[in-house]
Amino acid sequence: MSEKNISTNPASVVYKRCTVDLASGTTTFAQVPCKNLEDVLGGFGRSFQVLAERDIVEAYCPENPVILNTGLLTGTSIMTGMRSYFSGYSPLKKSGTGRPGAMWSTGSGNFGNKFKWTGLDEVIFENRSDKPVYALLKEGANGPEVELKPADHLIGLTGHAKIMALYQEYPEAHFAAIGPAGENWENNYMGAVVMSTDNELKSGEPKSRFAGRGGMGSLMGYKNLLAVVALSSDKLQKITPEIRDVNRDILKSGGSARFQPASQGGGGGTWANIEVLQVFHAVPLNNFRPKGNTDVERLFRDEVEKEFDIATEACHRCGIRCHNNLFYKNEDGSRGKLAAKFDFEPLILFGSNLGVHEPAKVCDLIHRCDLLGMDAISLGTTISYVLDYNERHPDKPLFNGATFGDYDKITELIEDAGRGKLPGIARGVKRLSEETGETAYAMHVKGLELPAYLPDTNPGYMFAIAGGHMSMGTHMMLAKEGKHSLDEWTQAITTGGLLQVGYDMIGLCKFVGVGIGHDIIVRALKEAAGIEIASEDILAAVRRAYLRGLALELRQGFHEEKEYTLPSQVMDDPNPEVTLPKFITNEFLGELRQRVWSVFKPEMEGLLPVRGE
Amino acid sequence: MQIKVKLYASLRRQKFDEADWEITPDQKIASIVEQLGLARQDVGTVLVNGLHAGWDETVAEGDIVSLLPRMGGG
Repeated sequence: MSEKNISTNPASVVYKRCTVDLASGTTTFAQVPCKNLEDVLGGFGRSFQVLAERDIVEAYCPENPVILNTGLLTGTSIMTGMRSYFSGYSPLKKSGTGRPGAMWSTGSGNFGNKFKWTGLDEVIFENRSDKPVYALLKEGANGPEVELKPADHLIGLTGHAKIMALYQEYPEAHFAAIGPAGENWENNYMGAVVMSTDNELKSGEPKSRFAGRGGMGSLMGYKNLLAVVALSSDKLQKITPEIRDVNRDILKSGGSARFQPASQGGGGGTWANIEVLQVFHAVPLNNFRPKGNTDVERLFRDEVEKEFDIATEACHRCGIRCHNNLFYKNEDGSRGKLAAKFDFEPLILFGSNLGVHEPAKVCDLIHRCDLLGMDAISLGTTISYVLDYNERHPDKPLFNGATFGDYDKITELIEDAGRGKLPGIARGVKRLSEETGETAYAMHVKGLELPAYLPDTNPGYMFAIAGGHMSMGTHMMLAKEGKHSLDEWTQAITTGGLLQVGYDMIGLCKFVGVGIGHDIIVRALKEAAGIEIASEDILAAVRRAYLRGLALELRQGFHEEKEYTLPSQVMDDPNPEVTLPKFITNEFLGELRQRVWSVFKPEMEGLLPVRGE
Repeated sequence: MQIKVKLYASLRRQKFDEADWEITPDQKIASIVEQLGLARQDVGTVLVNGLHAGWDETVAEGDIVSLLPRMGGG
């Protein structure tokens, strides 16, 4: 990426794209001038403009690309600047017309850095290979080079095992791979992209990161693209005094403190949310239906510490250190083997929300999902639906008849779903609930399963364009602030909430924890990318990128009333055990939709390209 | 006058789970937090008798003040 002042001339910034035709094996390189500031910032802000140019009616078609790209700060020395993004039309996110929705998914680790350091900013994988391949992206004497290599030796391996096998061949590289779920793309729409970390490669333990949402791993599987190898020398950017100051401010500003280790006075990562939400009995339990009891408290940190050794670890050179890795304790008290990484989402969605409260069992379920390369949110939430259905229909249960807390049978469901034997589960809860005819308690919005925050507390989910809390930052507003008026929710969704997506453009992790227009971000772009963008211009670009995504949803057939809604159980059968205000009624949602659309729609005009131009 | 203070998650680990606490009448919540030795930026949510409250609010004899740390995720 060239370094220019781009406030009025985004075309002065060019990025390096490689288009890989998986069918023919040919590669084409191009220097692409940026069309607008969203292009400059990168991530989904750029990839969605490519997707919007295409008329895609089915996710699994040759014309649907997988786009791998970075953000402006990926590969720089700004703390957390290591994100890479996978975009395409999702097999999971589906409108009522049957058309797929556009999605992106992102993760950290060190793959993004290595990819950026090959000299590439974007790779578009077109068509599909007739044989399993992996893509080798590497820096050559005259610029980046891309090759496709046979991947037969990787077939059937877990995502982690694929990474370790490739590591033997490329010890200087980092990796993005799919697991068995992605390989079984026909029967599994929730395959994740598994990305390597330094810690994983050094220790041999499965400490991968995941770009999980929306089935981008399944789309890779459809294309017979089993992995991507990014081979480059380390190009660690010199840490100037200004960059050092930005990184210090990221750690000290307070925004990231809640994710920092508890042992260092931080909040201890997202895990801490469980204790806070339990104050309101708002922790998902038995398919998002808290019972007002203390079951979830078995998963509080203090309880888990009695059984496991907890290590706080980090992505590449990240001082936030948000990973809480649990290790079994040996008989002599020393640290044993890795059990799982405990984050709020998998912890709840494979724990209390399935009626499983023993930490060791939760660890095992998370671990299985990760190895098979599935999105923990989509899988956990779909299984909780199955258990709920079976509890309601003991005489005619689904699948193996598993019910809440039945660890052995839940284990079977995970294993079978991951290996393509249970399409009923692995094609997601929207499809499954439409088959059973019981949609009221299927916890999804627009085909994407809900994360571990109750829909009873977040009407903002309706306007998330990429899966719940990933793209609408209102998931804890009620618990944090108690706000529940129409004015407050309209304001939250149409101003601050949508800005959540800004981090999915610039290459940083959301755990930096400041608003996307914050001075820290402005300084980071200036010092590390050499690009000066005023805060208001960043905010405007992020807003346009979000609204373009929303416009693309409507164009793909998502109904602006029927599909911008919540699971009907929330409105029709409010949970009396949740002690937060119960304000979500059909009338409230109707009025909220109307107000939000009236703000957004005029701004959405002209944001989508005219196809064919 | 006396109130009850309940702390949660990282705040609890810094100080205590629950305690009776002496305050002066008209003492604002911000001042109570300071008196407890907690950094204001570490406190994300304040509840008085289970309802959300602001920094400038006052409490009454016997009230239960719950302090929650900042939450995050995404």
